[in-house]
Amino acid sequence: MSLEFPILSLLTFLPLCGALLIFACWRSDAAARTLALVFSLAEFAFSAWACLYYYPATRALGAPPGMNLFEDLPWIGRFGIRYTLGMDGISLVMVLLTAFIGAIAVVVSWNGIKERVPLYYALLLAMLTGILGVFLSLDLFLFYLFWEVMLIPMFFLIGIWGHGRRIYSAVKFFLYTFLGSLLMLVAIISLYLLHGAQSGSYSFALTQLVHTAVPYGVGLWLYAAFLLAFAIKFPLFPLHTWLPDAHTDAPTAGSVILASLLLKTGAYALVRFGYPLFPEAAHAFTPLLYASAVFGISYGAWVAFAQEDMKRLVAYSSVSHMGFVALGIAAWSPVALSGAMMQMVNHGVTTGALFALVGMLDERTHSREIATYGGIWGKTPALSFFFLFFCMASAGVPGLNNFVGEFLVLVGTFKVAPAAAAGAFLGIVLTLIYTVRLVQGVLFGKENKPLSLRDLSLREGGLLAVLAVVDVYLGVHPGPVLELVKAPIALLTGVR
Amino acid sequence: MTLADAYSLMPIIIAGCAAVLVLLTGPLLHLRSSYGIAAVASLTAGLWVPLVAPAAGAGVPGLVLTPLAKLLIPILCFAATLTLLFSYGYNARRDIKGEEYPATILFSLFAMCILPCATNLLILFLALESIAFSFYILVSIDLAREQSGEAGLKYLLMGAVAAALIAFGLALIFAGSGTLALHATLAGTGNRVIISAGWGLIVIGIAFKLSLVPAHLWTPDVYQGAPTPVVAFLSTGSKFTAAAALLMLLAFAPPLPELHLPLYMLSLLSMVIGNLAALLQKNIKRMLAYSSIAHMGYLALALLTGSKDGYSAVLLYGAIYTAMNLAAFGAIAALSATEDRALISDYAGLGFQAPLRGGVLALAMLALAGVPPTAGFIGKFFIFYSALKGGETTLAIIGIVSAAASAYFYLKVVVQLYMHPSEENAPAAATPVEALALCVAALAIIIVGVFPTPLMDLVDLALR
Repeated sequence: MSLEFPILSLLTFLPLCGALLIFACWRSDAAARTLALVFSLAEFAFSAWACLYYYPATRALGAPPGMNLFEDLPWIGRFGIRYTLGMDGISLVMVLLTAFIGAIAVVVSWNGIKERVPLYYALLLAMLTGILGVFLSLDLFLFYLFWEVMLIPMFFLIGIWGHGRRIYSAVKFFLYTFLGSLLMLVAIISLYLLHGAQSGSYSFALTQLVHTAVPYGVGLWLYAAFLLAFAIKFPLFPLHTWLPDAHTDAPTAGSVILASLLLKTGAYALVRFGYPLFPEAAHAFTPLLYASAVFGISYGAWVAFAQEDMKRLVAYSSVSHMGFVALGIAAWSPVALSGAMMQMVNHGVTTGALFALVGMLDERTHSREIATYGGIWGKTPALSFFFLFFCMASAGVPGLNNFVGEFLVLVGTFKVAPAAAAGAFLGIVLTLIYTVRLVQGVLFGKENKPLSLRDLSLREGGLLAVLAVVDVYLGVHPGPVLELVKAPIALLTGVR
Repeated sequence: MTLADAYSLMPIIIAGCAAVLVLLTGPLLHLRSSYGIAAVASLTAGLWVPLVAPAAGAGVPGLVLTPLAKLLIPILCFAATLTLLFSYGYNARRDIKGEEYPATILFSLFAMCILPCATNLLILFLALESIAFSFYILVSIDLAREQSGEAGLKYLLMGAVAAALIAFGLALIFAGSGTLALHATLAGTGNRVIISAGWGLIVIGIAFKLSLVPAHLWTPDVYQGAPTPVVAFLSTGSKFTAAAALLMLLAFAPPLPELHLPLYMLSLLSMVIGNLAALLQKNIKRMLAYSSIAHMGYLALALLTGSKDGYSAVLLYGAIYTAMNLAAFGAIAALSATEDRALISDYAGLGFQAPLRGGVLALAMLALAGVPPTAGFIGKFFIFYSALKGGETTLAIIGIVSAAASAYFYLKVVVQLYMHPSEENAPAAATPVEALALCVAALAIIIVGVFPTPLMDLVDLALR
């Protein structure tokens, strides 16, 4: 195509258009729901279409290596800031995940959200735009903008539709991430000035900034600021303390998006920006990342074991699972990195499903305490089946998706850092313990309280079935995802 | 004075003549017409420069349309117009009567338009003090309320001291340099000791006007007591012109090595103390007063780099801050009944009960916190960029950490607006005029946030 079709911009801003349209028909809840569904499905279809027809074939003119789709426009000339979007295999996988989980989140909230419905869906869609922007931008200023824009809708989602200490959690979430991001902004500007002074051309473009010769000491500081911002989102131990609160108090779809998508932005940004910009400093920080990852895996599992609240339990399990992603990134070998990518997708799908399940139970009984339940298998076989299924997936049972990611990460890490891999393995054992406890406490055993539960509705069943199919598919046939991330990872690691 | 000169100075003429016209016709007309005339006059004055585009450089002795004036006059007129639009409904509810209110706003606008045109230290001083003088009246114009009078007295006493300091400082600079002309170059001439002493006094005086710590103590009381639209104008127009005056003086006689330490301390203290004190406030106007102190600290941070980038950042931030504060105080004014909603907790649930006003207030808070994609982010970015480029890394990091902390108190307002249930009935509907003014301010915040390039170009032109 000579005249470029701005497919990436459309991908990014389609949800925002949906959000604005929902604002326009402010009065009707039903219309808002429908519009949100239509736009999220359209976004998913569009991303799949982009994946099938555009991605493999085209190679935009002037695109940096690996970026099959690319858009570049001047934006703020005074600072050399450009509107640059690019998509390689890693971005594509993340975009597909975002669009998929976005649609899931809309369906999950269908009946649960009863107040201020239009505003809710508008914020949900607006957040998708922020997340997609993070996964696609190649200009650090633009990236920073999207990075911050994600915060606001999530802040409102937790604060308005959340439960419990929703305001405390919303503010904590916002301030935590905001502080980290602002320090990263200082680092971005410093890097920009350094690069400009060296090369004479002032630019925020990633492709140019990677060529900056950063003095070692300065690089450590700058990388530390980047790592802080990313580690908070990740979240890496000990910066995870906002996460259990935010997850627990968020509405169900909020938890799904937080776990499945927002956490991934931290990991993605570390791979896309952190390592390529500061290879030396990243290398110097690797032991820290290993330690944090290994400790986080066990710590998250350990604390999850002690939780009485199912949502909190799943939240801590996220800390544990994201530790594997961190481990894979720390190892920085092709196998470990592709494992980390797999783990990101898998954790997104599986944990999203678990949060959805907990939300469904919560809708029925208004309780998330494990002690409330027990022996529900007889009453709600379908719900219980999916509960067991996703718990097994989360625990890393072979044949289901999480196993693939964790296995690849461990294999990749073992070659580079056997001690870290061994430590992480301990975490897998702990994962089994808390999963078994959850399954046993909720599904089996004797009834603690006489609950009148209804089984899954068609909407809920369909939703979970789709997620389960994805789980199985990725578990037995992860090839396509691995194939997509292979070339970008080869570029990143320099190993072919 | 040729026609071209008159053309180029037309905004000043319009503002001045309209002020007199409003005063003369006030007794004969309905009050609404007086506000209408004033608003139209200030809008015309503001549109004159961009539409007629008079050549810079023409003027009369002492007054020339400088590039700086071409930037400042439209922004100040924009602020005055919005203030007038907010004031009409607010003053009607509070029973503040009389055509002297719009006339005084116009008079202060007249002085504000003169200030960037001044080519002479004395004219600069007169403009600066005329602005302060009109605000002495405006702050205490709410005669029925004690608070307003108290605020006016505090402002007058502190302002008189500041005026004396600036006057003496200018006198010392004159004594040291032997010239009053602002465009004379002083390189290497004059008595450096005396000029520096003069500079010291001027910096203290301007610090008062910008309410930089430790010259900030009047700010919370005045903001709390004065009518809210007046605060909107005071915190934008008056502060922006004071910053511009400092820029003009810096271009005239730049003894930067000596100025660095005082400005450094002013900036540091203002950013830290302003943001910390704002954390503790329960009254929204006092909170915004401390926030304003912190924001002026950011301005000082950009100023003290002494670079062209820093000066550009000051002007850009001044313009953006004008839009943000007009939106914030405008929404507060539009939400008030016979009394202001004083406490932050008085805003509970208003985001849903009054979507437009609540939404604009929330937007203004997020913009003040510097969250993209609002203009506030672009402004902060430019400030910290210029600080880092100017080598002020430590101060920039202190500033950015304090900015992160400041998000907490801005969020407090947003939390009240959207996350707390309302305890009372919905407030009366906003008048169309208020709604229009709020929409304009909100649009300015978003448009500049997404497409800042035109404004940046204008700012760079102004410093040429």
